[in-house]
Amino acid sequence: EKKTQIDSDVFNFKAYMVEKANLINQALDDSVSVKNPPTIHKAMRYSLLAGGKRVRPMLCIAACELVGGRPANAIPAACAVEMIHTMSLIHDDLPCMDNDDLRRGKPTNHKVFGEDVAVLAGDSLLAFAFEYIVTATAGVAPARVLAAVGELAKSIGTEGLVAGQVVDISSTGKSDIGLDQLEFIHIHKTAALLEASVVLGAILGGGTEQEVEKLRRFARCIGLLFQVVDDILDVTKSSEELGKTAGKDLATDKTTYPKLMGLDKAREFANQLNKDAKEQLSDFDPQKASPLIALADYIAYRQN
Amino acid sequence: TLPMSAQFDLKTYWTTLIKEINHKLDEAIPVQYPHQIYEAMRYSVLADGAKRAPPVMCVAACELFGGSRQAAFPTACALEMVHAASLIHDDLPCMDDDPSRRGLPSNHTVFGVDMAILAGDALFPLGFRHIVSHTPTDLVPETRLLKVIAEIARAVGSTGMAAGQFIDLEGGPNAVDFVQEKKFGEMGECSAVCGGLLAGATDEEIQRLRMYGRSVGVLYQVISDVLEAKLESSGKSDKDEGKKKKGKSYVGVYGVEKAISVAEDLRAQAKKALDGLEKYGERVVPLYSFVDYAADRGFSIDH
Repeated sequence: EKKTQIDSDVFNFKAYMVEKANLINQALDDSVSVKNPPTIHKAMRYSLLAGGKRVRPMLCIAACELVGGRPANAIPAACAVEMIHTMSLIHDDLPCMDNDDLRRGKPTNHKVFGEDVAVLAGDSLLAFAFEYIVTATAGVAPARVLAAVGELAKSIGTEGLVAGQVVDISSTGKSDIGLDQLEFIHIHKTAALLEASVVLGAILGGGTEQEVEKLRRFARCIGLLFQVVDDILDVTKSSEELGKTAGKDLATDKTTYPKLMGLDKAREFANQLNKDAKEQLSDFDPQKASPLIALADYIAYRQN
Repeated sequence: TLPMSAQFDLKTYWTTLIKEINHKLDEAIPVQYPHQIYEAMRYSVLADGAKRAPPVMCVAACELFGGSRQAAFPTACALEMVHAASLIHDDLPCMDDDPSRRGLPSNHTVFGVDMAILAGDALFPLGFRHIVSHTPTDLVPETRLLKVIAEIARAVGSTGMAAGQFIDLEGGPNAVDFVQEKKFGEMGECSAVCGGLLAGATDEEIQRLRMYGRSVGVLYQVISDVLEAKLESSGKSDKDEGKKKKGKSYVGVYGVEKAISVAEDLRAQAKKALDGLEKYGERVVPLYSFVDYAADRGFSIDH
């Protein structure tokens, strides 16, 4: 029985991940149906259902449950953060940006549907994320849904994903990138949406202001952790293992943590961030916090 | 037509609102690090010559039902932000490949294709964020704001303006009607509806605003195409000959005369939609005057 599994001393993370991934994949599949014109909706679904790790939606649901909410309160928001993540990947992969042909082991959106449709599919996913969170969230006070909308919006634009991508683009090929600038890129490009995922879950699950802020700090740590690990994997793994082009950071002369501080120091930094993240959860019931602790470990020790 | 309409000065009403909206938009996008993205966003949102039709229509619709301007301004600004985002993306080389917009170089011509995509990607969420952070909740309950956000998201999304842009590129049978409705009608519809939602209009009134806004949006574009065709035939147009969009306007497909008769139908349809709102007295006059302006262009908006 699922309940006893979660309550047992040894938290069964694998079973938890499988259960939540199924839940999320089903919810994502249901969220975007093929309407007129079919091509845009097929392009949206192609990237949204391409089988990512669903880390963001899982964080959203886990944070919701940690503060006492039901998964159903956070599922539309969990889908919304994955839609935003997907749209940013579609646009980042475009020829005028990072020019990537491969994503999650499959041809990128513009390779299949053309650049024009890829731009529109990204725009449509962005808009739909907001429509969906507003229209599909059930059992949550309107003020909380509105706060979630504001948080999500903040994580995308010039204080989030876009700011990170802008500085990333303008730093590529430059040799004088410092740790500050590298951190700016990752805090915005990766950590902002991970933070939003956790914070949305906490808000929609009925968390108090203090709980939301604790979880925000947790998310900031694992957001940076996520990127440090990504950088390490880029130099230590093959394209096949990663499902995307490996060694691309080196090939395009991007500044990465291993390049800036060396591989060993980068690994040490990752360990410290994981430890800092878990400290933020120390006031919560350890039993209830186990999914988020396991997700932090998963982000730290993943192999792709 | 109402007796008040003769005394109503649309030009003053409009230019006064434009000033306030421009000021609020200017404040809404302060330049920070990384500067270039803010400059790119400001370039399109604050471009000279923008008529601010969506925000002005939103404010007028809100005032019609007794809502205040303070309640409407954040949404009005958001409409202009998402509108700008959509135009920036429409102009991209992989889309309409338009080097200019409103007589100025288009966003990607000045800032590059990558920045233009990102400026659009940032303006969409900024619109939503602006509504959440700037609307006084003592004036507008949260449930109404959620409806406004859903309405804007729907209008710009995969069954709205993005769908219009896709069919514009793709073509197909009856493409012109679909494209005009989605590319130009959707923004008018959304603007009028948002104003009504903010002020708590009933479902039936919202339906009227939907029909009204959509008709005015398409009407404005049809007349613009007719005027452009007339300029072209008199040899005064400075637009490129054989621009690829040409075939997708009513004039390009049906000719000037049919386009003018379509415009007359749209004008009548827009006014009919307003019939049921006359109980609001003279507050409905601005909405009537937009219809006549879209059809007749009795003056030029300058600021």
